[in-house]
Order: sequence, then structure tokens, then C-alpha cells
Amino acid sequence: MTFRKWISTVVVISLALMLVVLPVLGSACAGPGEKTIKVGITTPSTGPAAEKGAPMGHANLDAIKYVNEELGGIDGHPIEVVWLDNAYDASKVVTNVKRFMDEDCVLYATASSKMMSASMEIANRAGFPGIASFNAPVLHRPPQHIYGQMPDYGDDWSAFAKYYMENIWKGPGKPKMAMHLLNNPTGYGALDAAKAAADELGIEILPPEEHSTDTISEIESLTRIKKQNPDVLYISSTPAPTAVIIKNAVELGMYPGITIGLGHAGITKALVDIAGADIVEGVYGVFPTVNWGDEVPGMAKMTEYCQNLHPKDYGNMDYITSWAQSLIIAEVLRVAVANVGYDVLAKGGEEAWQAVETQGIQKLDYDVGGLHGPVSYSPGDNRLSKSVRLFQIQNGEIVPVTDWIEAPVVKYEEFDWFGQ
Amino acid sequence: MSLPSGTRNYTYAQDMAILRTKTHWALFIGFLVLLLASPLYLGNYWLGVANLIGITLIAATGLNLLTGYCGQLSIGHAGFIAVGAYTSAVLTNRLDLPFLVGLLCAGLMAGLIGLIFGLPSIRVKGFYLAITTIAAQFIIIWVINHWSVTGGFVGIKVPYASIAGFEFRSETSQFYLIMSIAALCTFFAKNLARTRVGRAFIAIRDNDLAAEVMGINLLYYKLLAFFIGCFMAGIAGSLLAHWIGYLNAEQFSLTESILYIGMIIIGGLGTTTGPIFGVVFIRLLQQILTVEIVPFLERSFTMFPAGFATGVTPMLFGLVIILFLILEPRGIAHRWALFKSAYRLWPFSY
Repeated sequence: MTFRKWISTVVVISLALMLVVLPVLGSACAGPGEKTIKVGITTPSTGPAAEKGAPMGHANLDAIKYVNEELGGIDGHPIEVVWLDNAYDASKVVTNVKRFMDEDCVLYATASSKMMSASMEIANRAGFPGIASFNAPVLHRPPQHIYGQMPDYGDDWSAFAKYYMENIWKGPGKPKMAMHLLNNPTGYGALDAAKAAADELGIEILPPEEHSTDTISEIESLTRIKKQNPDVLYISSTPAPTAVIIKNAVELGMYPGITIGLGHAGITKALVDIAGADIVEGVYGVFPTVNWGDEVPGMAKMTEYCQNLHPKDYGNMDYITSWAQSLIIAEVLRVAVANVGYDVLAKGGEEAWQAVETQGIQKLDYDVGGLHGPVSYSPGDNRLSKSVRLFQIQNGEIVPVTDWIEAPVVKYEEFDWFGQ
Repeated sequence: MSLPSGTRNYTYAQDMAILRTKTHWALFIGFLVLLLASPLYLGNYWLGVANLIGITLIAATGLNLLTGYCGQLSIGHAGFIAVGAYTSAVLTNRLDLPFLVGLLCAGLMAGLIGLIFGLPSIRVKGFYLAITTIAAQFIIIWVINHWSVTGGFVGIKVPYASIAGFEFRSETSQFYLIMSIAALCTFFAKNLARTRVGRAFIAIRDNDLAAEVMGINLLYYKLLAFFIGCFMAGIAGSLLAHWIGYLNAEQFSLTESILYIGMIIIGGLGTTTGPIFGVVFIRLLQQILTVEIVPFLERSFTMFPAGFATGVTPMLFGLVIILFLILEPRGIAHRWALFKSAYRLWPFSY
């Protein structure tokens, strides 16, 4: 037999074998071993949002480790995490979610609203429940299978605007509010709320400016804003671009002089580190969790794990968010298992997804160790926690200035302009 | 095309045939059977990856015709894909038109927009043309973000693709749809490259001045290359939209455009198989690093803090591409051609 014929024969036989054997192997690999409950978690641990995604990924996994090792997992069984980095890339998160469904995960969690918006239609089509820690109106209005761990970016704006009008604005007439928005749901979620409630609150909204995650200068857009003499600047963005905008505002002499408010994606330790404490001194921000060191029941254990496993993340409020997210996931599973039994969830698939949603998420009543507002489900409102607090950066520290503020549900889908 | 010793052509049809020998046919049929049967043994995830590869292949094939064959560098390809995706989304979602109308219009609209941004190619080339196509990327994305019809920053939902009442709901049905169109596009590109048009493209790429002296209409052929390249990008965009189900302009970033250039360079510029190799290589590398290597490292090295392996992904991705370009700058297609030659001549180099 010549070499060529030999190669051809080998190739043909290999192809035939692959065709016949692979499906058999595929089914055979699913052995009779003990099934665990799996959850999918995807974070932008690399890429342009890594300054938020990396500590959030750490916190997610640290909290599950805590649940498994110290709380006995779920019904005595450890929770298995299928954790995937998405690099803040839409096509990656789409395949990640398909992977979660294939791996029999019972729900999935994302850190960023952008990642959830890229994947939500696939999940909604399949009825696969998802929990987004950072939340935008588009993710849950109208409500389907995606839930927001916390209030959305629109709620941030509403809370800040209300606080501003009640406590800061002393002038006559309407204050002029400029908005600098990240060019995605993080930014435009805040604009949705402004469109819906600015008139009622008595605020004049100036034409919004936008920026991207990789912006390096916003002098031009801030110059346009400065010409309109705003009283307050609201930024809904992630820490790196927020730092650029505030630095530029200082360079242009706008700040101090006006009030600056931030949405919850922007106010975190990373902002202080990137911009410098003196630059961001006095900036307000809305955040839906407590701060490090606050006296709440869940603080000690989270601090212990963070300092042991990721000491560099200590002080980062995103860590608190994702730690709480994993605790909520564990509680969802615990409640669902109590209602439908362990085996239903461990089996995975559509029955498990439905059980997790209707018998877990929708039956929640949990206080997350006081780390953020209590978590519960109200029909027609897929935000699990509905409370935010206002913070201010003082001497490099992020200090709370209000108690919890309840954010009422806004039915954005009833406005003609929503989604336009 | 080099052929095994003893293979002769007696007719023009034989000379032009793509598959020439029994071995060609056997391998081709084997590949087809393996491909078409893959839903039997691939789960939804790997079918999803295959679908992403198929969609990317269509767009990369278009870019290869434009850049690899005609020499017109485009760094705005993701923008043209976005045009197709949003055209199809708007037509099927807002106007309730059938998927096939959306698909065709997506290609045509992207082709027309490509023509507009291709006009500067008459005056400028190389890096200068690259800059104009980058402008296309930014302008297109800006328009999408600020036009109410496209849903702006909120995005737009896209229904399932459907033909004659059959909805492509499952990953498997989408796989057959996408792979059929990808195969058609590849076949079209292969044949186009062998026609008068293809030879004109190559002449323009190699020396446009000489091509013009030979009587090739530069305006016509350069714009034709832009139209065809962007038409395919539009088709890919339409399929992407119906596959993902929800569009947001951030899915079409400049990074993605650059990655497309990387795919056709790694695969092999100006070859029909190049885009196939390049797309499969890059997409699989992305997936394997993200889904297999990083979780494997996390599971294996539990003494390190959770999440330590995330930094490995971009480093390995970059390293593999750098090594590849150093070791095989002419692309995987060239390495494949070398392998075929060596296989045919073995054991004697006669």
C-alpha cells in the first residue's frame, strides 16, 4: 500500500469512527455519579471593564466557597460553579450562556448590564433565568426571565435627583442638570429615568453627552456642557471613564463649583484609585450596598474571606455587590430545593430553570446579611433589591450620607420613547 | 493548481473542476458527512460556537475578497456587519417582513454603504484607505446609537429566522441554515476568484497602475470589491442578528474589525481556504482559552486565589498569534499547501 493510500484509508476510517463513536461517547460520559446543582457565573475579568469585573469575579467565587465550606452548600451538597470570563465581549457572553445551558446550570449570573443585555434574549427565549448584579431598565422592562439583583441605573438617577432637590439645591427655579453617559445601557438607563421624572422633580435636563469605556479625554464635551452653566453634572459610567470626566472637569474649572453625582457603576474604590482622592473629593454617588466596615451581620465573614483570598480587593464596593450576588444565588437554590426537592434542580434542564424561577427567585425573602437592601420578589417587578443609598467621597473614603432609599418601580415600557 | 502525478485533464470542465481526484471527492464527502452529522454529537454550546464560526466565515470571506484579492484594506468590517444586522432586525421586527427579505436587504444595504465608503479607494490606498474605513466603523456605529429606528443604545430585539413558516428556533436548525449560506459564500468566492473579475481584483492588488494600463477599470472593480465584500458582511450580520436575538451596537466594535483582519492574515490572504483556517483558528482559540484553559487552571491550582487565571487568556491569545505570525507569516493556507505538496511527492521529490 502506498503512503497516499495509507493516509487516505486512515483518514476515512478516522472520520467514520468519529461519526459513530463520538455520539456514543457523549452519552456514555454522563455517568451515574452524584449530580450537583450547577450555576453559571460570567464576569468581565479581562478586557475593558476588568477593573470592575476582576474583583467581582473574585467575590462571586469566594462567596460560593464560603457557602460550600462553612454553610454546608445546599442541602448538604456543594454548589458547583461554572465560571467563565467574558472579557466584556458580546459574542463571548452569548456562547458562555449556551455553555451554561449545556452544562445543566440552573441559572446564570452576570456582573455587567452590557453582558446581560447581549445574552438576555437567548435566555429569555429558552426560559433560562439570569441575575444581573448591575442592572438597567432594558434588562427587566417588561419583566421576563432576567432579574436585577439591585435597583437599576434609572433608580440611581431618581434617588440622586431627589436627594439633590431636597438637600443641595437652594437656588430659585429649576436647576440645570448635565448628563455624561456611557454609550450603553449603563449610561442610557439613567437617561430613561431622567426623561420619565425630571419634570415632576423640577429639574431641567441639558442635552446629554456620551462617552465610551476607552475615552482618554472629555475636554470637548465638557466644554460644551460648561457653556450651558449647569448646576449639577450626573455621570452614569464605569470608574475609568468617570475618572477621566471628573479630572477634565477639574481642569476646566467646573469642579468644585458644581455638584457631581454618579450612578452605581461609577462610585467605587477603583474610581478613587484611578482619579486620585483630591480630584474626586466631595463627589456624590448612589450605591445599593453598605460600605466596608459597616456594622452589619454579613460584614465579618466577607471581610475575612476578602482579606485572606484577595486582600487587594478590600475596600472595593464591587466586591460587596458580587459577594451578595452569590449569597442570593445560594438562597435562591436553598428556597427552590426546599420547595421542589434537590433532585429536580440537580437534574438541570427546563424543569429546573422553571423551578428555580417560580419556586426560588419568586419566593425570595432574604436580607443578605444586611450587605444591601432586603431581597424579595414583587409581581411585575424583576428588581430583587429595591433600595439604594447615597454616598459621598470624603478624604478618599466613600462615606454614606443617607439611609436606605426605596426606589419605586417605573414601567418604562409604557412610555412611547422607551427603546427608541 | 498542482495535482498528483498522473492526473491529466482532457476537457475544459475537468480543468476547471474544484474536486479533481477520487481522493478529493472522498475527503470532501467525508468532511460533509462529518459536518452535517455534527449536531448528533455536539451539544448546544459547541453548535453555538460552530454557528459563530459560520457567521464569521461569511464576513471574513467577504473581507478576503476585498482585502486579500483586491488589496483594498478595510478596518471597518464590523461596521458593515452592523449595517446588515440592523437592516435585517428593523425589517423583520418593526416592519414584520419575512426573514429572506431581511437577509437579502441586509446584504444589499451593507453593499451600498460599502460602495459609499469605498469611493475614496479611487484616490487613496494603503494606510490612507484604512483610515477612511475606520471612519466608516465609527460613523455607522454612531448612527445606529442615535437613530430611533435602530433602538439606539437600548438595542433592538430580533425574531427567529423563518422560511416558509419554519422557524429556526433550535441551535441545530440554525446550524444548517448558517452552514448552508457559509458554504454558498465560500463556493461563490472560490469561483469569483477564477473569473475575469477575480483576475482583475488580483491585478489591482498587485499593481493598480499596471492594471489600469492593461485596461482594467479601477473605479468599477474597486467598487465592485467593496460591494461584494460588504454584501457578504451584511449577510453575516443578518444571520448574527437572528442567531443572537438582540442587537446592541457594542457588539460591533473596532476590536472586532481588527480581529477580522487578523483572521484573514493568519488564515492566508488571497486564498479561498485562508478565511476558513483563520476563522476556525481564532474563534476556537478564543473559546478554548476562555472556556477550557482558564477554568482548567482554576480547578487545577486551587492553592492560588480564585480568579488568578483570568490574566492568562489575553497573554496566551497574544502569544499564540505572535508566534504564529513569526513562524508562518503566509498563513495557515500556505502551510496546508506545503503539506499537500509534500504528501503528493512523498517519498520522492520528483
